[in-house]
Amino acid sequence: MNAASESFRALRRANPRGAAGFAEAVESAGGAIAGRLAETPRPTRSRSRVLPAALVAAVAGTAAIVAFSTISSPGGGPGVVDAQAAVRKAATLTAASAERSGTAVVRITHDGRLWAGTTVRWNGKDLSVARDAPDRAGKAGSGLLVVAGLMYGRDPRTGGWVVLGPPESVDPDSGTTPDEYLAAAREDVGGATLLRLTGRIQGLTAVRDGGSTVYRGTIAAGQIARETGFKEGEAIRVLPFGYVAHDEAADPSSPLDVAITVGADDVVRKLAVTWGTWSYTVTYDGLGATPAPTAPADAKPLDRGPAGVWGAPPGRSAD
Amino acid sequence: MSAEPERRRRFDRLYASYGPDIVAYCSWRAGSPSDAQDAVADVFLTAWRRLDAVPEGAEARVWLYATARRVVANQRRSRRRRAALQDRLELEAPTVSLDADREHELVHEALRRLGQRDREVLLLSEWEGLSPAQIAAVLGCLTVTARGRLHRARRRFRTAFEQLVAHDQRRNDERRFRELPGPS
Repeated sequence: MNAASESFRALRRANPRGAAGFAEAVESAGGAIAGRLAETPRPTRSRSRVLPAALVAAVAGTAAIVAFSTISSPGGGPGVVDAQAAVRKAATLTAASAERSGTAVVRITHDGRLWAGTTVRWNGKDLSVARDAPDRAGKAGSGLLVVAGLMYGRDPRTGGWVVLGPPESVDPDSGTTPDEYLAAAREDVGGATLLRLTGRIQGLTAVRDGGSTVYRGTIAAGQIARETGFKEGEAIRVLPFGYVAHDEAADPSSPLDVAITVGADDVVRKLAVTWGTWSYTVTYDGLGATPAPTAPADAKPLDRGPAGVWGAPPGRSAD
Repeated sequence: MSAEPERRRRFDRLYASYGPDIVAYCSWRAGSPSDAQDAVADVFLTAWRRLDAVPEGAEARVWLYATARRVVANQRRSRRRRAALQDRLELEAPTVSLDADREHELVHEALRRLGQRDREVLLLSEWEGLSPAQIAAVLGCLTVTARGRLHRARRRFRTAFEQLVAHDQRRNDERRFRELPGPS
C-alpha cells in the first residue's frame, strides 16, 4: 500500500467529526448560541453593503455635506480625524455601491509609460476582465468573461472566444486557477481593499478640487501590496488586482504617496499610489450601474489541443 | 413585518448548514474544549450581528472559517496576556480525540511536530475540505501561497507520520522480542 496515501488516510480518519460525542458537541454549541442570542440586543442594521444602488446616491448627497463640513485645512489636529472619518465613510459608501456592479480601471505606469492595465467590469456574479495594455507577448485585449456561470476565454491562436466551462471546472494544476482569480478580483473590486486602505493612511490632508475632494497622505507599502507570493523563485508582494509590486513598493515598510479622489456624491472615484518612477491607479466608474456582460455570440467550444488554450489568467499572474 | 423572523430563519439555516464545520474547526484550533465552545458561540454571534455581511451560499462557509480563525486568535492573545505559560499554546496539538486509538495518537503526535502554520493549512484542507482558494481566503494570503504552504505541510506531515509509525513499529518489535521465552 502506498505509504503516503496511508498517512493521509490516517489523518482523515482522525478528523474530529468522527470522534465520539461530536454530534452532541454540535447540539450543545447550538444550545449555547441560542442562549446567548436571547441575551443579545437586537442588532441595528448596518448601512454598509446593504444599500441598493439607488439609495446610495440619495444617502451620498447627505453624507457628502457632512463630510465636507467636517474637513479642515491640512496640518493635523481634529481636522485630520474628521478627514479620516470622511474618507472612510466614502470608502464604505463605495463598497456598498460596488456590491452590485461596477467598473474598475487599473493602470500602472513606469517612467511615464503604461506598464500594465486591466479593466474589470462586474455585475452580480458576472464578470469581465480585459487587459488594456500589451503584455509581454505583445497582445492586448485578451480577456476573461464569466456570464451566467460559464467562463469564456480568448483563444490565443485565433483571438476568438471559446467556452471554457464553469470557472471551477478549470484547474491547470499550478498557479492561480481562473476560479481563484475571479474570487480574488471580486474581493479587490468589491471595496474590501479600499476599506482596508483608508483606515491606514498617515498625514491625511484634504483638498477640494472642483466638485471633488482629494485626500492625500502616505501609506506603508505593505498595506497596499499586502499579499505575498513567489515568482520565479523570489518572494514578491502583490498589488490589488494581482500586479507585482516593484522597487520601493516591494518593501512593506516604505511609505508610498496615496491620493483618494472622492466625488461630490461621496463615492470614491480614484485611488492613486505613487513611488519613485511608478504610479498605480484604480479608477472606479458605473458603481451600481454597470450592465452585465453578455456572452459572446460567436464563442466556440473548447478545443484543448496539444497545448490547451488556457494560459495564465489575465493580470493575476502577470508582470 | 417579517424581516426579523426571516433574519432568524436565515441564521438558523446558517447554523444548520455550517455549525458542524465550525464546531470541528474550533475543536482543533482552540486551546481547550471550553474555549472551543466559546469560540463557536462567538463566531455565530458575530454572524448574527453582521448577518447582512455574511455571503450567501457556499461562500458563507469560508466567511465563517475566517471569522473563527480571528476569534480563536483573539482567545489566544487574551490567554497570553493572562499567563505567559499560554505561549505554549502555539505548540499545542489539537484537543480532539482524547480517547483516540494508537493511530490517532500518532496522527496527533505528527501534527504536534508541525509548525502551527503548517498544521493549520493542512487541516483546513484535510479535515475541513477547503480548496487552496478557500484556504487563501481564510488565511488572507494569495492562493499560490496557500497552495505552496499546503504542499510543504503535506510533505512534512507525511515524513513525521511515517517516522513515528516506523519508530512505533520498532518499539513493538523490540517489546515482542523481549517477551519471547528465553532459551530453556
